[in-house]
Amino acid sequence: MIVYAIPIISQLEDVMRHVLNWFHYNVGLTWAWSIVAVTVVVRMLLVPLTIKQIHSMQNLQRFAPQMKEIQKKYKNDRQKQNEELMKFYRENNVNPAASCLPMLLQLPVFISLYYTLKHYNWPAGADLSWLNFIHDISAGTTAQWGGYILLVVYVASQMASSFFMMTTVDKTQRILFMVMPLFFVFIIARFPAGLVLYWVTTNLWTVGQGLVTRRLVARTPAPVPERRSSRTPPKDEGSSGNGAVSEPPSPKPAPSASSQPRQVRRKKKRTSRR
Amino acid sequence: MSAVLRVPSMLGIGLVWLYRMTFGAVFPTTCKYHPSCSEYAVQALRRHGLVRGSVLAGWRLLRCNPWSRGGFDPVR
Repeated sequence: MIVYAIPIISQLEDVMRHVLNWFHYNVGLTWAWSIVAVTVVVRMLLVPLTIKQIHSMQNLQRFAPQMKEIQKKYKNDRQKQNEELMKFYRENNVNPAASCLPMLLQLPVFISLYYTLKHYNWPAGADLSWLNFIHDISAGTTAQWGGYILLVVYVASQMASSFFMMTTVDKTQRILFMVMPLFFVFIIARFPAGLVLYWVTTNLWTVGQGLVTRRLVARTPAPVPERRSSRTPPKDEGSSGNGAVSEPPSPKPAPSASSQPRQVRRKKKRTSRR
Repeated sequence: MSAVLRVPSMLGIGLVWLYRMTFGAVFPTTCKYHPSCSEYAVQALRRHGLVRGSVLAGWRLLRCNPWSRGGFDPVR
């Protein structure tokens, strides 16, 4: 296989095998639970990356009216709407979207697990079952009846995690995100059951994280304006090169009174630029 | 660019599509940039060829982290 010819993949596979072995032989988990443990460890390592996003979401709440205005203004041109929203996020130093890097960091884990499950020489009589309904985590998901249950759980967990990861307010896009798992399931059905187990676990983690995030965001509605104002202006000027290509979405001052002087200054700057 | 010179970048674009069809499809994420990282990669490869395009795409991926501001960031 072409992908396997890349040397780094066999090295990743070695690492994954060692980690799984450690959980199995040293911690005493079954092979299936070792996969769950690996997933949890990976997601725990990624937690610091998500904290920043939680702060951004907290900040975002007070910009909701302006964002809705932009959406209304460009509702017929989705491309333009996206661009304007992105510019608005940049100008106000907020961004609700997840970033690609943390997600991509999971890619090597996923690939190595895939190849480990395919190539590992399991010891004779190894217990590869999980919760009595998956008989063999290294076998294809649909090759066992329990795999179908796992796929149903996968679809539900994927929908739930999409719900929490989704940041768009666009209704069509939201529906699309929610329906997508129904199509992915056909790709996933061919993967080893252990890989689907990884997916279900990571999805459930996302849901748990989403629930905690929501609670945190709801609890702290007002962001700290001082921190933003002290570092935004110079950056804003730097980014105005590409940000000011088309007319800015003219954000109104936020309702919080403490940030008013800065907002006025920004407004002045923008008018002088035009 | 002639068709022959375009082959390497087409390979790169093929890899991006492979990612989109597999991992990217199953882990849908909303990128904080516009165009999204994978779209940016395709545009960069198309415009600057395999080597420079890959570097640009790699740099963009590194920038797409929780500490960056995101926003409108087209290939130049």
